[in-house]
Amino acid sequence: MIRVERLSKSFGRVRAVDDLSFTAEPGAVTGFLGPNGAGKTTTMRMVLGLVRPDGGTATVDGRPYAELADPLRTVGAALEASRVHPGRTARDHLRVLCLAGGLPVRRADETLELVGLQAAATRRTGEFSTGMRQRLALAGALLGDPRVLVLDEPANGLDPEGIVWLRGFLRHLASTGRTVLVSSHVLAEVEQTVDRVVIVARGRLVRTGTLSDLHEGSTRRVVVRSPDAAALRAMLDAGVDGQRPTAMDVGDDGELLVEGVVPAVVGRAALRAGAELHELREERTDLEEVFLSLTQDPGPGAAS
Amino acid sequence: MTGLLRSELLKVTSVRMTRGLVAGAVAFVVLNVVALVLASGQPGVPKLTEEQTVRSVFGAAGSASALVLVLGIVGATTEYRHETITATFLATPRRARVLTAKLAVHAGLGFVVGLACVLLGYVLAAVLLATRTHASVSAGTLVRIALGVALGYAIYAALGVCVGALVRNQVAAIIGALLWVVLIEALVVALAPTVGRWLPGGALTGLLETNPARTVGSTGSYLTPAWAALVLLGYGVLFAVLAARTTLRRDVT
Repeated sequence: MIRVERLSKSFGRVRAVDDLSFTAEPGAVTGFLGPNGAGKTTTMRMVLGLVRPDGGTATVDGRPYAELADPLRTVGAALEASRVHPGRTARDHLRVLCLAGGLPVRRADETLELVGLQAAATRRTGEFSTGMRQRLALAGALLGDPRVLVLDEPANGLDPEGIVWLRGFLRHLASTGRTVLVSSHVLAEVEQTVDRVVIVARGRLVRTGTLSDLHEGSTRRVVVRSPDAAALRAMLDAGVDGQRPTAMDVGDDGELLVEGVVPAVVGRAALRAGAELHELREERTDLEEVFLSLTQDPGPGAAS
Repeated sequence: MTGLLRSELLKVTSVRMTRGLVAGAVAFVVLNVVALVLASGQPGVPKLTEEQTVRSVFGAAGSASALVLVLGIVGATTEYRHETITATFLATPRRARVLTAKLAVHAGLGFVVGLACVLLGYVLAAVLLATRTHASVSAGTLVRIALGVALGYAIYAALGVCVGALVRNQVAAIIGALLWVVLIEALVVALAPTVGRWLPGGALTGLLETNPARTVGSTGSYLTPAWAALVLLGYGVLFAVLAARTTLRRDVT
């Protein structure tokens, strides 16, 4: 498991990661979400001992990365996919890592097969497409058959087929009890894959929990437009068959925004109030909107 | 450590750049030997009947030192240029071990390149000299030059690794090193020989034993091979410690 506690890191005057704490548990895919520049990559690099934190700790199975006895067998990491020597073949790239990590070199071919790159083993990585590089990076992460996986934007550059494949692959890894931490700046990309989410913005933790927790943050409301808005509002306020909205608001275009009741109740209220209707529809904020509202930069004057 | 050494060796042998630089070094030696033999006797150029000239013909095996330095620089900086340093440090979080393995592998490579240059340079020199009247040099001298070249190249390749680890930017490191070797060092050796002989280039000349009088400029003298080797090793250790203390510890972002 991965444990991040009160982690902080500044680059110059930019606070990239600010007092961040979360855990990624075994047997689950944890989505590490946030807009670009939210501090996801920096956090992952601190977990992997590549960047030294200003404060706080990051441990894998209870130890800082640098103190792991057998790092490649403990943690597999796939960071930005372009980080390979373009003149080296895919197989040699992986063999270099096998030798350094004390793994048998046959793991290079085994993992290439796992990610479906066996046919490209002897090609120089400079000829690879972004999707192939992503697969190669993933192969590198799997060399030591590790219990913990740290994947930074692994879906970037994958074609739709590749994304479906990745989804199944990550689910499979988690089902075998592995800890999988996967970052993305697009919620939809990982929505069907992750069990838990850790959402960050501007280096700080915004929300952590399961996807269904996040769903609870989404709301339904009825949008209704009427020239007799006042009468309709009064009728809704009085209640229709015992049902009363939890909140009512006037929208930007003068439409009435009704929360806590279904459209049928609003329609009935309009009929009884004799109010003419120009529009009646249900609006649902989806996960993506919840995600966006959580991570958006609050404008000037907004309460933080 | 064995795995790490094999890993670093595979890094070197699995890219074309290495082959290119080694071929370049050997070609440079060949050109130098041929040029020295053909030019000898021309006005202003020493004759082959002088022992010193024949020494420098054989000593031309050591003329590719700048390329060997570049070989080391490339070995270290290519990891930063292509950002493979991330994967390298993930596999070996103890970064000083990476530097040590790189130094060892490149020193070995420099040694082998040195031997190859000696072998080819000597054979070529012998063939070219066979049909010309020339002074003879003792077998002992030839052995000492050969050892000097191999050792000198080994240290230069390792020095290159240190410079590369310190500077990290490949282009800047190569240009800086070449400017130093071709311009700054050459100037210092010419203008202030007593200082110049202590510089890496001056020390390398001392190690190569191509100059029996050991004269540098009109007043000074080069270091003896033993001292020269020590001085070169000293530079290597100094740069390695400096790199380990500074750039090697930096964040890899």
